[in-house]
Amino acid sequence: MAGGRRFWWGLVPAALLMVGTVLGPLLAPNPIDEPVTVPYATPSAAAPLGGDQLGRDVLSRLLAGGAELLLTAAAVALVVTALSALLGAVAVLRPLVGRLIERLADVLILLPPVLGILLIVLSWPDGGRLALCCAAVLLALPYAVRVVAASAAPIASAGFVEAAVAGGERLGRLVWWEVLPNLRAVLVTLLGLRFVAAVYIVATAAFLQVGPQPPAANWALMIRENAAGILLNPWAVIAPSLAIGLLAVGVNNTVEALAPGRGPVRLARL
Amino acid sequence: MPRIVRRVTRLLGLLGRRVVLLAVLLVGVFASVTFLPRDAAQSTLDRGASAAELAARRAQLGLDQPLIERFARWMGGLLTGDLGTAARGQPVADVVLVALPNTVLLGGLALGLTVIVAVTVACLATLRPGGPLDRLISATATVTLALPEFVVASVLVLVFALWAGLLPAVAITSAGGSVAPQALILPVLAVAIPQLGWNVRLVRAALADEARAPHVDAAQLDGLSRSRLLVRHLLPGVLPAVAAAAVTSVGLVLGGAIVVEAIFNYPGVGVVLTQAVQDRDAPLVAGVVALTGALILGLLLLADAVRAWATWGTR
Repeated sequence: MAGGRRFWWGLVPAALLMVGTVLGPLLAPNPIDEPVTVPYATPSAAAPLGGDQLGRDVLSRLLAGGAELLLTAAAVALVVTALSALLGAVAVLRPLVGRLIERLADVLILLPPVLGILLIVLSWPDGGRLALCCAAVLLALPYAVRVVAASAAPIASAGFVEAAVAGGERLGRLVWWEVLPNLRAVLVTLLGLRFVAAVYIVATAAFLQVGPQPPAANWALMIRENAAGILLNPWAVIAPSLAIGLLAVGVNNTVEALAPGRGPVRLARL
Repeated sequence: MPRIVRRVTRLLGLLGRRVVLLAVLLVGVFASVTFLPRDAAQSTLDRGASAAELAARRAQLGLDQPLIERFARWMGGLLTGDLGTAARGQPVADVVLVALPNTVLLGGLALGLTVIVAVTVACLATLRPGGPLDRLISATATVTLALPEFVVASVLVLVFALWAGLLPAVAITSAGGSVAPQALILPVLAVAIPQLGWNVRLVRAALADEARAPHVDAAQLDGLSRSRLLVRHLLPGVLPAVAAAAVTSVGLVLGGAIVVEAIFNYPGVGVVLTQAVQDRDAPLVAGVVALTGALILGLLLLADAVRAWATWGTR
C-alpha cells in the first residue's frame, strides 16, 4: 500500500461521500414523493435545489436517491469478487474449467454490457432488483475470473501448492488454504474495480428504466425524468449528474490509492 | 509461398473461432429469451389477454413446438435476416435496420475520435515522460474512465446547448431521417469522453513499452529528435496495441451510443430499445444483440487483420 498524502487524498473524500450517500435518505428534509413546489421551480427557501418535473423537492430526492445505487453496486461487486476468487482458483487447478471460462470471456466481448443487462432484465420481468443484480454479476464474472486466474497461475505452479496436490489434498482445501490466501492484494484491487464497473452498469440500467421504477428516488432516474425541464431548473439534472460523477470518480480514486502502479489498471475494463 | 499460405490459414482459423463464439452468444441469447419466466407470447400480448388468446398466440409464434425445432428456426431466421416479430407486430429486422445506420454513424464517429485523440494525447504525454503535462493527462484519464455516458451527456447539454447556445440539445433530423451534422457533435463527444480515459492509458503504456526497445535506444543515441523518434520509430510499433484498444472499446461505444441516443432523442437503436423497454419486448432486444454481436465480430476480424499486417515482417 502506498502511504502518505496521496493515499489519504484518494481515500478520505470518497469515504465521506459514500457515508453521506448511505445516510442521505435519513437527512432528506421533505418527503420524496409529494410536491412541495411547482414543477421545475427554481431554488427557493422551501426547496434549496428547486423542484423536479412534479414539483417534488430536488434536494430531498438527491439525498434519498444514492443509497440504493451504492448498495446495489457494492453487493454486485462483492458477489463478483467472491465468485471470481473461487472460480479463478479452481480454473488454475483444473485447466479444463479454465479454458471454458476463457472461451466465455471471449464470447462476452461480442455483447455490450448495456445490451446484456437489457436482455436479461426484460426476459425476466418479475425479477426486479434480483434480475438486475444477477445480470450484472453474470456479465462481469468471466472477465473477473480471467483476472484472478492470471494472478493465481504462478501460485498454482509454486512448490508448496504442487506439494499439496501431490499429497492428495482435495480441491476445496487447495483453493481455500493454498491459493486464495496468496491472492489477497489482487482481490482487494479487483473488488474496487468491480465496484467502479458496477456503479456504471447499475446507474446506466436505472437510466434506461430497467432498474428502479418511478416514483422511487434514484439519481440516474432523476436525470432521465427531469431532462425535459433542464432549462427551467438545471439543478434537477445537474445535481444528480454531479452526484453520480463524484461517486464514480471517488470510488475510482480510492482504487488508485489502494493499488498504485500500472499493472492492476488493466483490470478496469468492464 | 508457404509463408503466405500459413498466414492465411491462421487468419481463416481465427475467423472460424470467432464465428463459433458468435454462435455461442446467439445460443445464450435464445436461452435467455426462452427459459426466463416470460415468453414471447406473453410479451407480444397485452397484460389482460385471456388464456385462450395466449394459447393462440403461442401457436402462431410456434412456441408450442419442440425446443430444438424452435431453436433451429430462430437460427435459420437469423441467417436469412428474419429476426422475429416485435411486440407491436412489425418484423424486428425492419424496426432495427432502419435505426442501425444512425447508431453505427454515431458509434463510428465516436470511436474514430477516441482513437485519434487517444493517440495524439498519449504522444504528447510521451514527449516529456513524468512532466507536468504527462501527469495532468494521466489524472484526467483516471477521472473520465469512471464516468457514465449519460452523466457526461447531461453536463455537455447544459454547458454547450443551454448556457452557451452553441449546439442543438436534441438531434435535428431531416425528412430522410438523417441527422444534421452540428447535432452530432454533442452525442459523439458524450460517447467518446468516457472511452478516452481507458484508451489514452493503454496507448501511453504501449508507447512506454516500445520506448524501451533496443532499436529506439539506438535511434536516440544517433541523435534523432524526440518528435521524429516518436513518429518514425515508436508509433509503428504500437499500431497493434491501438487496434486492440479500439476493438475492446467497440462494445462499450455501442452501449454508450444507445444510452446517449435516449438523451438527445437521436433516431437510432437506442430509441428503438427505449420503446422495447416500455413494451417489455425481449425478442426485439434479442434481435439487436444478434446484430451488434455480428457487427463487433466484423471489427474484431478487422483488428486481427491490422495485427497480421503490422507484424507481417516479423517472425
